[in-house]
Amino acid sequence: MSPLWRDEVAIYVAPRKIALARRSRGVKPHIAHATEIAVAGHFGDVAPTLARLSDVLSEPTWQDAVARIVVADPWARYGIVPWPDLRLDNDARVSHARYVLADSYGDVVSDWSVSLADTPPGRAYVACAMPQPLKSGLEEILAGARLKLTSLQPQLIVAFNAWRQQIPADDAWFVSLDDGSLAGVHLSQGAWDRVHMARLSQDWEIELERLRTFSRLSRTGSAASRILVDAPTWMRCTRTAQAASEDFQWLEPHEGSVSASHELALLQRVYA
Amino acid sequence: MKVPARVVIDFAGPQRRIRASGVLLCVAGALTCAAVGSSFHASLAERDALQAHLGATARPHRTVNPNAARDAAAAVAIEKQLAVPWSRLLAELEGASQDVASTVSLLEVQPDATKHLVRITAEARTLPDALAYLERLQKSPVLRYPMLESHELRKDDPEHPIRVKLSAEWRT
Repeated sequence: MSPLWRDEVAIYVAPRKIALARRSRGVKPHIAHATEIAVAGHFGDVAPTLARLSDVLSEPTWQDAVARIVVADPWARYGIVPWPDLRLDNDARVSHARYVLADSYGDVVSDWSVSLADTPPGRAYVACAMPQPLKSGLEEILAGARLKLTSLQPQLIVAFNAWRQQIPADDAWFVSLDDGSLAGVHLSQGAWDRVHMARLSQDWEIELERLRTFSRLSRTGSAASRILVDAPTWMRCTRTAQAASEDFQWLEPHEGSVSASHELALLQRVYA
Repeated sequence: MKVPARVVIDFAGPQRRIRASGVLLCVAGALTCAAVGSSFHASLAERDALQAHLGATARPHRTVNPNAARDAAAAVAIEKQLAVPWSRLLAELEGASQDVASTVSLLEVQPDATKHLVRITAEARTLPDALAYLERLQKSPVLRYPMLESHELRKDDPEHPIRVKLSAEWRT
């Protein structure tokens, strides 16, 4: 197969789930294989997910392609780093971002891998950290499966870029929900200015009520912030969730991806 | 509605993705270059053929006349000869001869048009008559710097005249 037309495998890794989609390239690209696999893991340990992924990638179905990986938000930490007063090189900017992230999340992120978003000079920029063992473990597993890693992005970034055409550029919240985690980003003048992360309990009804409360609190000002929520179908379709649509707006995927799971739909958006 | 800026955070680093549209564009560009090159090559061949055809046809032959320079010089010389003020010069010489009571006979007048110089050969009965003739010429408005170049006594002539040769520049 020509290197120009290599298949692409998109992989979603989360503490309790793995999703994979293989897209055949060519004149008419299409999803050739897709699967979701449950993992008996938890937020604090990446080893079960990596072990399960290694097993799955041993199958030829997923080998010999380029790979794009989306890491679930429970394994990512975000921060808004102010533009420094001093001129810094890239290493110094990463150190500065690591300091800002440690200020928010503690020393646990001190040895994590940090990546920065490109931002025009003078503006605050988004920083993201993920566990170094997760990153190196993924690279090692992919190399064993003859998969070339071309993209390794956190879920909130992928979801935001997929939905940004529908998000107001000013005074709006974009919230990404997933099994057990919430990541919300506030937009001001087209750029991120606040990021919040929270771990959700197993009781979705309680969490939904918390979200509605948060929405009402955000309306206490003179101008109400719009809240747009990206969530799996099972979260959106409950009666309580439908009733909450007056407090915030559910982001509905287009017709073609309604039948796919939230993670597979996210992987399809990676290709877009 | 204004759209928020795209946020790019990628732990795999920047990757250059080759899109099918880019490949197609590249192929189309290469084909266009090939077509332009082929057309250019054909145009060159056509030009060479036309030049060869032009070379085969008889061209008007331009030859250089080796006598042209000489003819031009002769023409210039003739023009200068024609520019000599013969009428005024001869009238002045004749008037001078009459002024000295025709004691001087004019034998030869030889102009040098390139130098604006006229050489006069004349015979007089005596040397004073010849000198008087010279003085008369020195007053002429047509001549400038008349000089006696030589004189000789003609012993072979029974009257023993004095033959003098004078030179003078003429004024234009």
